[in-house]
Amino acid sequence: MSTVLQTIVEKKHYRFIDGEGVTWQEAIRLSAEPLVADGSVDADYYKQIVACVEKYGPYVVFEHHVAMPHTQENATGAHKTGIGFMVCEKMIDFGEDEDGEKKEANLFFTLSSTNPDEHMSNIQQLSEIFMNDALLDALAAARTPEDILEAEKKYPCEDEF
Amino acid sequence: MAKLDGKKLLACCANGAGSSLMMENAIKKVMTIYGIKPAELRHCPVSEGKTAARSYDVVFCARTFVKTFDGVEKSGTVLIPLKNVMSAQEIEAALKDAGLLD
Repeated sequence: MSTVLQTIVEKKHYRFIDGEGVTWQEAIRLSAEPLVADGSVDADYYKQIVACVEKYGPYVVFEHHVAMPHTQENATGAHKTGIGFMVCEKMIDFGEDEDGEKKEANLFFTLSSTNPDEHMSNIQQLSEIFMNDALLDALAAARTPEDILEAEKKYPCEDEF
Repeated sequence: MAKLDGKKLLACCANGAGSSLMMENAIKKVMTIYGIKPAELRHCPVSEGKTAARSYDVVFCARTFVKTFDGVEKSGTVLIPLKNVMSAQEIEAALKDAGLLD
């Protein structure tokens, strides 16, 4: 079975941007574009994610500058389970969290989910990826789909607990 | 018998689809390692968790959502706010701090 990163490459659910001057709202839209391209989500699906972050704050930004923008399962405008992966050369500013801590992201894993089993598998694998600092560094340095696959090969995820 | 055996655990996040699922997985890891069998372990959105929380023994949430659960401790529910929702280590440490894990 393909890993989430292999699936991202196979389905062309990736994009690489410079990120200079890009707002977090715009970044979420851009990260969802590869999902829009093959009909996984509607063009305005990203707006629900933006609304959610506006409501609850930048809780979708985790440690190591990883963002996982998402809404609920079976959201309006979501047609397939998938992950829109985006690498930004510059950090995207998400403002501050409730503790006044600055939140920034250069890796985006924007989720769409309609199939609970696939979504569960994606979430489990992403948890492992998000705890794998060496892999995250390599992904942040990726500029081509080949780099994504190379990064995974070099720093495979193992259950570290 | 472990203190969390037979207890009801709930993980909450904004949508009940992303970070709460990550929390549930991380909690499961800790439960497996310690051989604990909770009566229930599930995840849901905070909108649902807000009212459901009182009927659970332990509620986990990202720190952002702590305010949502104001007063829940009065009904005996232990609230465990997490900084990193996918960290089994943080969950293990937090449960130990709360005296729920030996």
